[in-house]
Amino acid sequence: MIDLCGVSKSYRLGEVVLAVLKGVSLHIDAGEFVAIMGSSGSGKSTLLNVIGCLDTVDEGSYRLDDIAIESASEDELAALRNRRLGFVFQSFNLIPRINALRNVELPMIYHRVAPDERQRRAYAALKNVGLEDRAAHSPAKLSGGQQQRVAIARALINAPDIIIADEPTGSLDSASGHDIMYLFAQLHQQGKTIVMVTHENEIAAYAQRVIYLRDGVVEKDERR
Amino acid sequence: MIAFAGRSRHPESLASLSRGTSASLRDIASQAWWALKDNWLRSVLSVLGIAVGITAVMAVGTISKGGHYLVFSELETFGLKSVWVFRDRQDKDPHRAVRMGTGIDNDDYAVIRSGCCPAVKRVSPGIHDFGKRQIIRAGNRYSNASVEGVGSEYTIINNDTLVMGRSFRFEDEERRRPVAIIGPTPHADLFGAGQNPIGKEIRIGQQKYTVVGVLKAKSRGFLASIGSAGGQDANNRILIPYTLYQQQLGKKEINWLQAEAVSQDQADIAIAQISDTLKRRHGERFSYRGETMAQYIDTANRILQGVSLIGVVAASVSLLVGGLGIMNIMSTSVLERTREIGLRKAIGARRRDILLQFLAEAVFISTIGGVLGLLAGTLASYGLALATGFPLTPSMTMVAVALIVSIGVGVLSGYYPARRAAAMRPVAALRYE
Ligand SMILES: Nc1ncnc2c1ncn2[C@@H]1O[C@H](COP(=O)(O)OP(=O)(O)OP(=O)(O)O)[C@@H](O)[C@H]1O
Ligand SMILES: [Mg+2]
Repeated sequence: MIDLCGVSKSYRLGEVVLAVLKGVSLHIDAGEFVAIMGSSGSGKSTLLNVIGCLDTVDEGSYRLDDIAIESASEDELAALRNRRLGFVFQSFNLIPRINALRNVELPMIYHRVAPDERQRRAYAALKNVGLEDRAAHSPAKLSGGQQQRVAIARALINAPDIIIADEPTGSLDSASGHDIMYLFAQLHQQGKTIVMVTHENEIAAYAQRVIYLRDGVVEKDERR
Repeated sequence: MIAFAGRSRHPESLASLSRGTSASLRDIASQAWWALKDNWLRSVLSVLGIAVGITAVMAVGTISKGGHYLVFSELETFGLKSVWVFRDRQDKDPHRAVRMGTGIDNDDYAVIRSGCCPAVKRVSPGIHDFGKRQIIRAGNRYSNASVEGVGSEYTIINNDTLVMGRSFRFEDEERRRPVAIIGPTPHADLFGAGQNPIGKEIRIGQQKYTVVGVLKAKSRGFLASIGSAGGQDANNRILIPYTLYQQQLGKKEINWLQAEAVSQDQADIAIAQISDTLKRRHGERFSYRGETMAQYIDTANRILQGVSLIGVVAASVSLLVGGLGIMNIMSTSVLERTREIGLRKAIGARRRDILLQFLAEAVFISTIGGVLGLLAGTLASYGLALATGFPLTPSMTMVAVALIVSIGVGVLSGYYPARRAAAMRPVAALRYE
């Protein structure tokens, strides 16, 4: 499903060229739950952004099923992210001025779902993460774990088949982190493909496969 | 067990993915509304900026319209078809320039009156005091009115109406009757405003006159300020038969002729016909000059245009300031919401979704400002209409112009910040602290 072949990416900071990804080749099958680990600055987020079609590569190719990502237009990538990818971030990235329900509705706005259908589905999604009684709360009135669950409901609202999560438990205490991982495990059981970056071994333990990055290359690829 | 809607689907082609994935206008509008509500103080301030500008636009429209009515209601007090003919003292020909006299006499008036000039409907001689100011009094009350010797048709030509008494008759001028028509100012000065002066006696110099009529007050505040047409105070006049005035002053001449052309566009022809008749009758000894109401209308219009131009500049400046205000708060807002923009792009917003969302916010502000300005401007013009009696209520065109201008200002000032927001790369925007 996800096919990276010799992917390289570097940033130019003035005169210095910083190579972040140095020829990463990777294959992830549909339904896999993959954790990406590695030290800080090893390129985990960069790789995840490439997989999530948020960022482009300098060299190499990326195929998502039979779609050649490097030749897709900006609008096509936006549509792809809207329908097939769900994003979960370390900092939740909820819009502070609108309530939980409206935050969950957001991806459907860019999918032209009718307003009442949107509300029905957003409410159902909040119920799935156990937050139906918090639908009218603004993000500031929710705990970190609750905010992350709203973000997960939002990521799932357009029924994507791939979940992209960059340190989803990085801002949470251990108990809330495990709650989130419990949700991920269920998603995995339902057949979603999950690619997740984490620093913590006990979080990575939820995945069936752990890819270790070191200085922009795949150092180790473990299946359990 | 939690049940999530939707299973992994068959891979979709890019073409089918990119169909119909942009947000609806309705959603874009409601997103914009939430954003503005969140920053309401800022929004209100920029709304006010535009409201002031649009009020200024409306004011320009109302003032130029009001000025138009003002000028025309004043010009009407001269009779819009009036022309004046007098000797051209600026004549450069030395043979003609040195000659004495006004170049117009009673026979000329009789000839023109008898219908020699087809473009002339009515004519009246005009005589002033030839530099010999007369004391005007009634009993022990005095007046400083200007005395004009006129013909019997003068009041009709000059669009004068009487509040009391009668106008002159032909036999008044023919038989040099000692009768006078007085304006409202000498009426008040000589008799007291509430008194009936008809039949009473006044003295102009040594001559006694019986008051037969009182003129209605005229408003010429605007014209008085632009020069020759309004040079004298229209209300501080006393009219007497020109023939008796000539006798009293020991003169046989007429200073000017005031005539009524058959129509407004025949005014210049009327002047030409009168001047030609006069030249011919005096054996080309004098040259003549004429003025028409049309010239005064032109002058008045030029002044009004000047006033409007100043107003337009002022309105443009305030709109520019309002627009810059919107641009400024939109730029700040884009910067503050960088992460939100990144998030929206990550979950599927396209460039044009972001562009339209921020444009909608700017247009929202400017349109609300525009509607407020429209209300304020309309209210002000109703007030002015009530105060002046002119029909100054804003026209549909003015309303349309105000709305289009305010929407235009929103689009222009929102476009640059909106485009910057739309061009952000999702990864960079999400990393922004
Ligand atoms: N936009 C950018 N411009 C310049 N350098 C960048 C940019 N994005 C990332 N980098 C650099 O690329 C390297 C890899 O970044 P990346 O975010 O992928 O690391 P990471 O493995 O996710 O680290 P962490 O565990 O701290 O999140 C870092 O050295 C970082 O400074
Ligand atoms: Mg990272």
